[in-house]
Amino acid sequence: MAKIIKPFEFKLYTGLLRFTGRKAKNLHELREGIATVSEDSLFHHTCQYFLKGTILEYTNDFAQWAGESLEERALAEHLSNIDPYSFLQIEDLRKELLRVVDEYLSAFPGPREAFPGDEFFFNETVVLIVPLGIQVQNLAEFLMAVKYVDPGSLYYHFYESKLRLGGRVNDFSAWMETSLGKRELAERINAIDPFMHNLEEIRNVIADLVEQKARLDMEVYNR
Amino acid sequence: MISQYESIAPKGDLHLLKRLGEKLAGKTFLHVNSTRVGGGVAEILQRMVPLLKGLGIEVRWEVIEGDEPFFTITKKIHNTLQGNPDHISEEMWAYHFEVNRRNAEKMDLEADAVFIHDPQPAPLVQFRKNGKWIWRCHIDASNPIKEVDEALRQYWGKFDAAVYSVAKFARSMAISEYIIPPSIDPLSEKNRALTEEEITEVSERLKIPRDKPIILQVSRFDYFKDPLGVIRAYQTVKKYNDCLLVLAGSPASDDPESEEVLRAVNEFSGDDPDIHILMLPAFSDKDINALQRMAQVVLQKSTKEGFGLTVSEAMWKGKPVIGGAVGGIPLQIVHGVTGFLVHSVEGAAFRIRQLLNSPSMAKIMGEKGREFVRANFLITRQIRDYLTLWYFLENPGRSIIEL
Repeated sequence: MAKIIKPFEFKLYTGLLRFTGRKAKNLHELREGIATVSEDSLFHHTCQYFLKGTILEYTNDFAQWAGESLEERALAEHLSNIDPYSFLQIEDLRKELLRVVDEYLSAFPGPREAFPGDEFFFNETVVLIVPLGIQVQNLAEFLMAVKYVDPGSLYYHFYESKLRLGGRVNDFSAWMETSLGKRELAERINAIDPFMHNLEEIRNVIADLVEQKARLDMEVYNR
Repeated sequence: MISQYESIAPKGDLHLLKRLGEKLAGKTFLHVNSTRVGGGVAEILQRMVPLLKGLGIEVRWEVIEGDEPFFTITKKIHNTLQGNPDHISEEMWAYHFEVNRRNAEKMDLEADAVFIHDPQPAPLVQFRKNGKWIWRCHIDASNPIKEVDEALRQYWGKFDAAVYSVAKFARSMAISEYIIPPSIDPLSEKNRALTEEEITEVSERLKIPRDKPIILQVSRFDYFKDPLGVIRAYQTVKKYNDCLLVLAGSPASDDPESEEVLRAVNEFSGDDPDIHILMLPAFSDKDINALQRMAQVVLQKSTKEGFGLTVSEAMWKGKPVIGGAVGGIPLQIVHGVTGFLVHSVEGAAFRIRQLLNSPSMAKIMGEKGREFVRANFLITRQIRDYLTLWYFLENPGRSIIEL
């Protein structure tokens, strides 16, 4: 009897920005904010940075602000080096952010202030998740879907899922391994460096890997 | 109605609008502001109301009625909320409330969700009935005059939430504050696709030759839009690249300074035949659309700005935009990707030269800008955000909802 394959269902991820009421005009205030804001706010300024669609100079909002608004470029580089997806708990991410800021502050205790209007605004998001009505059962169907699905869906399944699934694997790889038995492809997709691509580039890299595998699976040699 | 936006707006937004429409169909949604015509709020409501109706939502748009003294007071409130010093007496506050009370008697305030736009109708919240009440602030209220802020506090506390266009326009309040940027309608007269014949007709009627690259700024004649700085930037560019400058604005009856600024602009431009200063009548949407499509480079060199939606309008037409790094402009221009942010006349001149000398860079930036607007600043996204907020207020205590 043929094995029943669990289809992959694409979902859409949409966030609405909420201002926490807290802002920082210098590094000391940023540190206090990082220490006390909600986990949702830390998640927004680090993990959800990739929803922007454009890779800026640095890889999270704290680093971007430190580098561009305070011109503390060394700190911006230190903060950029933190991979938010490598932490299983947001509290561990908070500790690491604080460690880096504290280390910098102990070496350079008198950092400059941002211009009025250019302060750091601590935000968080409320999130709606909606099934897109797109279900796929094999690599060929997956390839078509991943090429054209909304960027918010790519973010949800590739970035956000890593934390949802315990910080190790994205939704696409999990499905490919468990439902399709394509372990190598799953690993290759999971190994894509999230920091080096914007969402559209991630789409292209995934599509290329899947297409290569689908072509190999379908190829018939003349005997 | 929403189907008109298929193949224009992001599919995800349209999908979510349909799903939220199913959830909220039959519910009542009331918007209240202070004018039916003129200004960005009325412009977007005119387009938004029919779209909400098309989703099955019972939407109404009410406008408060007031006399001249009332609007003089609300103008003062508007200005002081933006930090301009002025005094509002006890009598003025009492009259502000009284006019709203009279409006509340005549208006049907029963609705499942009520959006009160800007401070003019804010006292209506004292007469709230059922539903969720949201204060929609379109201005920069981050540094209000203290006594005005304190006087208005009695109203803010009675709302369920406040909505600002940009985080930096917000300030800490006792209620939840959300950030929802404004938007443009790609199907409106100001933004719809134009034929080459339509563009030519406008250029001939406005006597704008098209044999040289056109640098354009569309804005009111206001010193905060730095029209003299734009002319100086053009004069610098002109030493290297033959080009033409168009400054297009409309008369602003509520701004006595505009005539003085226009006079200064005319004087400063001298007898240069390549500077075209256009005073367009109100509602010249198609002309503005055509001018933006004719231009090679669009400027919004403001030194103080609200959201500055003219930036998104130009980007939607595939034009690279050079903007002052103020207000909502940095949200629209990703520096070096969808345009350039500048901080001086010299910076503006340098970026204009770069774009005029590299049409391929201008083209790529224009394409990225259009895509950025498509993803972030179309009316479908704004309606999506309004309905998402409403849905979250109806389901309190949750930060993630799976529909």
